Amino acid sequence: MSLARKLRYGFMKDVGAPLVMGLAGVKSRSKNIRKPDPLFGPPLKCAERLKEIMTRHYFLSRYAEGAKPVAWVTSGAPVELLRAFDFYTIYPENHGALCGAQKLGPELCAVAEEKGYHQDLCSYARIDLGVCFSGKTPVGRLPKPDLLFASNNICQTVMYWYRVLSHKWKIPLLVFDTPFNFGQISRSEINYMVMQFEEMIPVLERISGKRLDQKAFENVMRLGKESAMAWGEILAAMKTVPSPMTIFDAFVHLAPIVSLRGLPVTLDYYNILLSELKDRISKGIGAIINERKRLMWDNIAIWYKVRDFSRLFAEKGMNFVAATYTNAWAETISYMDETRPMESLAKAYSLVILNNNLDHRLNLMERLIDEYHVDGLVIHSARSCKPYSVGQYDLKRLLMERKGIPSVVIEADITDYRAYSEEQTRTRLEAFFEALEGGS
Amino acid sequence: MIMNGHPEARARRDYILEQKRGFGRRVIGVFPAYYPRELLLSMNILPVEIWDPPLESSHANAHLQSYICSVVKQGLELILQGKCRDLDAFLFPHTCDSIQNLASIVNDYLGIEKPCYFFYHPKAPYKESSRWYYIKQLEDLALRLEKQFGPLNHHEFKKKVEQGEDLRRTIGELYRRRAEGTLGLSNVEFYRILRQVEYLHPDDFLPVLTAILKRPPDRKSKGLAVIVSGILPNPPEVLEHLDRLGINVADDDFLSCSRRLLARPAISTVPFEAMADSYFGMQPCCTKGSAIEDRLKSILDKAKSSSAKGVIFQMVKFCEPELFDVPILVEGLKAEGLATLVIDTELNQGMSGQLVTRLEAFAEMIG
Amino acid sequence: MEFVVGIDVGSLSTDAVILGEEENILGYSIVGTGDSSTDAAREAMDSAAANAGVDMVRASLIISTGYGRAAVPGSGRQVTEIACHAAGAYHFFSDTELVIDIGGQDSKVIRVGKGGKVLDFAMNDKCAAGTGRFLEVMSAKLKIPLDQMGTFSLAARGEASISSVCTVFAESEVVSLVARNFPKEEIVKGLHRSVVNRVWAMTRQMSVKGGVTMTGGVAKNTGVVALMEERLGRKINVPAEPQIIGALGAALMALRHLKGAAAG
Ligand SMILES: Nc1ncnc2c1ncn2[C@@H]1O[C@H](COP(=O)(O)OP(=O)(O)OP(=O)(O)O)[C@@H](O)[C@H]1O
Ligand code: SF4
Ligand code: SF4
Ligand SMILES: [Mg+2]
Repeated sequence: MSLARKLRYGFMKDVGAPLVMGLAGVKSRSKNIRKPDPLFGPPLKCAERLKEIMTRHYFLSRYAEGAKPVAWVTSGAPVELLRAFDFYTIYPENHGALCGAQKLGPELCAVAEEKGYHQDLCSYARIDLGVCFSGKTPVGRLPKPDLLFASNNICQTVMYWYRVLSHKWKIPLLVFDTPFNFGQISRSEINYMVMQFEEMIPVLERISGKRLDQKAFENVMRLGKESAMAWGEILAAMKTVPSPMTIFDAFVHLAPIVSLRGLPVTLDYYNILLSELKDRISKGIGAIINERKRLMWDNIAIWYKVRDFSRLFAEKGMNFVAATYTNAWAETISYMDETRPMESLAKAYSLVILNNNLDHRLNLMERLIDEYHVDGLVIHSARSCKPYSVGQYDLKRLLMERKGIPSVVIEADITDYRAYSEEQTRTRLEAFFEALEGGS
Repeated sequence: MIMNGHPEARARRDYILEQKRGFGRRVIGVFPAYYPRELLLSMNILPVEIWDPPLESSHANAHLQSYICSVVKQGLELILQGKCRDLDAFLFPHTCDSIQNLASIVNDYLGIEKPCYFFYHPKAPYKESSRWYYIKQLEDLALRLEKQFGPLNHHEFKKKVEQGEDLRRTIGELYRRRAEGTLGLSNVEFYRILRQVEYLHPDDFLPVLTAILKRPPDRKSKGLAVIVSGILPNPPEVLEHLDRLGINVADDDFLSCSRRLLARPAISTVPFEAMADSYFGMQPCCTKGSAIEDRLKSILDKAKSSSAKGVIFQMVKFCEPELFDVPILVEGLKAEGLATLVIDTELNQGMSGQLVTRLEAFAEMIG
Repeated sequence: MEFVVGIDVGSLSTDAVILGEEENILGYSIVGTGDSSTDAAREAMDSAAANAGVDMVRASLIISTGYGRAAVPGSGRQVTEIACHAAGAYHFFSDTELVIDIGGQDSKVIRVGKGGKVLDFAMNDKCAAGTGRFLEVMSAKLKIPLDQMGTFSLAARGEASISSVCTVFAESEVVSLVARNFPKEEIVKGLHRSVVNRVWAMTRQMSVKGGVTMTGGVAKNTGVVALMEERLGRKINVPAEPQIIGALGAALMALRHLKGAAAG
């Protein structure tokens, strides 16, 4: 790490970023004075703050290279360990979602496809490889990593994908291997994961040039846990009828817990959001004006359709109030315990929804249906994501049997809209709406 | 066990029934790819592998999306068509996301009476913890199996592990002779014989191989040599066509063949330790997370030692682990002057005219 | 030796070329393949023979290529269309390093070395997007004759964006564009763009500096050629009759084979 770069990073963090953000803030505030939308309640006030936080994160990332050790990490990787070594982290999946929302998926995927990466591969991976090959990104520039850190607790795909990155840049790849929880997680599995952490420490020390700072580590763990609990409370606020927030908002407000987990800014932000939601609840303000039906979403968002869908459903008086996806970050991180850091970290990360058997998923969804008063279920069958999608047809059938709730499967993709058919989706959704209206 | 009309399938079923009746063996249906065979055999369990049952997929489509590979589809189809009556249990190794979820569908959602076992193997890059955990997993699986199949006899276990070593050595010899060009088997014959490993007990399979190796060496074949890579040699028509074109498969990098059937000789003689030796002594493989450089090097070595002119990647559609490796492998092989061909295949669906054209054009190109 | 015959039985068209000793084209024909490769081959050879004024029975050698190459009566040898398009393209344009053959059901990209030898090739996957068949389906849907698709596309001011990779999805996109009264010219251009993008992606796997030659029926579509030139950023060679290049290549091989045999 060069001193000049460190100084530059420090300057940008303290002066440059706030300056730029300040300007951005002024700009968007002036834009914000618009007519209230007849379909939706007043927009969340803290959304502006979120935008600042995320813009700042990507803005600073340009200066991180050479100033701080940089790691590219998967969304399910135990990043707390890296934070204790002061790594600057980039989340390609979050970046992929961002590209998806801006409808850049096919363009960036095509770059990877030209290099021989097949269209059948996960589009987060294709986008990311496209970004690596072309240097194109809507956030300006992503810093080149010194380390790759992947955990297969969400999928094996990330392991294959990060291997390609590791080959391309000739940099080390750390894999945190979390045995899939077919039934019950065993003692030897926990030991295996703890052993892996211990093996990682010398590698992290070498790359960062720092010793593990036990105090910092505990602090990160505590912050991470508290933010996850706050996120859990935020989601729980949606149990209220009418719900003060929609799942489409949650998809967006998820960014800090995914990308900035373990940092103070995340906890602070979620506390602000939570108090705003509580205020809305006390005033009876709903996210949509006329909430008649409450829905649950399964799988990752269809990023290029979030906006369209949120209108489409709001028009029908339907509000999404729960999702297995947003729930993932609240579910297990509360296992974290700074007094037994390694072991609790192993549990928190290996018991996440995608590393857990399908019976677990079914029970979770049943619980969410009850607790959130869900009337119907929209299942996104995401071509990109086999671990999330394989089994959904049975899930649909079983939830109908057990809970009697109507559901619909949308065949689509998270970011690659070439795999999405508007007409086909519309037909299916119309049939779903009929079933919902006829049902109760 | 599979389609009654299909000759190979009938042979399998007859064999399984005979093994049950004659030797009191219990039978476990095993999904791809890596699993501790010797452990099962020592408990008098015959593993019967489910890679590509020749069935028309119809029932499976109600459970699996169109973007799931046909290894998973056909495997599920076999279960759904009720063709697993002769099996006492299933074993699902943790090979990829699709098999992982298939295992959970079968165990959690289908209400099937048969016990399901799971086997998770550590992913690369390997560290000390990987070996420790692998052995723990073996011990753990043994404990679980004992509940259904009775206690593990350690003497028997040691014998089976030794037999496993013997089998790998023999298959290794078969591969060596083929690479040298003196084995005298066509591509089709080679894989027809080798693939019997998927259900024959080693007591029966080893003699088959030894008999072949005992035959006097054939005159060195003059055909063009290629390496074939992918998950498994299906559709068999590809091999047939290569035979017809006078192209010899001199070595392979199939998951179902050399990647799991060959390994460095074990060092330890303690059974669990020896099994770990061979697991970690296998070739690099994407489903285990091996570095792509390692796999590239392994294929290049094979090409060098067999003087192969090119490498054919026979892809199972939608197979993510393979698809991620291919671009770098192709680039690396081309840089070393080897021709490459990547073909998409569907299991048991023969060859389209387009595929024939590709193979022939490849033959013209390296010829 | 009087003459040799090359015949390319493709999925949509069957083409025959009759070649004299000096590599001079004596006659050729293009007929629809229909449901019988053998009948189509006969018809194409008869019509090419009539065109050349020769008697088929006197042909020194017939080499067949294309999908139906095994079904050609009298064929003395079979070669893939990959090798034939490479040889045929090289015959007309000796700077050729890359051949793009877009036919009815396949598109192929071939890297060519000295003398027209195949160095590497890529083919589309099974689906029809990026092939001539795709354009035929769309031309029927839009009620624009195939041979006017190029003119329409070149006349377009803007361009519709067709995002789907799959023919079925793309078809429904076209239906909804038509329903929204989108100018047909712009839809056609969008369709051509999607074909070009597909095929262009295949070319990216081969680094090529020299000449590019387009062959196959779709090379007659000036709209596709123009967009491909734009995408590749260079001029593309198009033979006067691109559809017979496969058959020409086969005939050239027949000639070489006979000469080689005579010499050896
Ligand atoms: N006059 C024309 N103008 C524009 N396009 C044309 C014209 N004639 C043919 N085509 C296009 O050419 C395609 C057929 O090409 P060609 O005859 O080379 O195919 P083929 O050799 O039969 O097919 P394949 O090589 O895939 O087996 C048609 O699908 C059509 O799109
Ligand atoms: S979308 Fe699915 S397959 Fe892709 S990285 Fe995320 S979890 Fe893995
Ligand atoms: S073919 Fe590939 S995707 Fe399918 S089961 Fe095998 S490894 Fe998994
Ligand atoms: Mg053709």
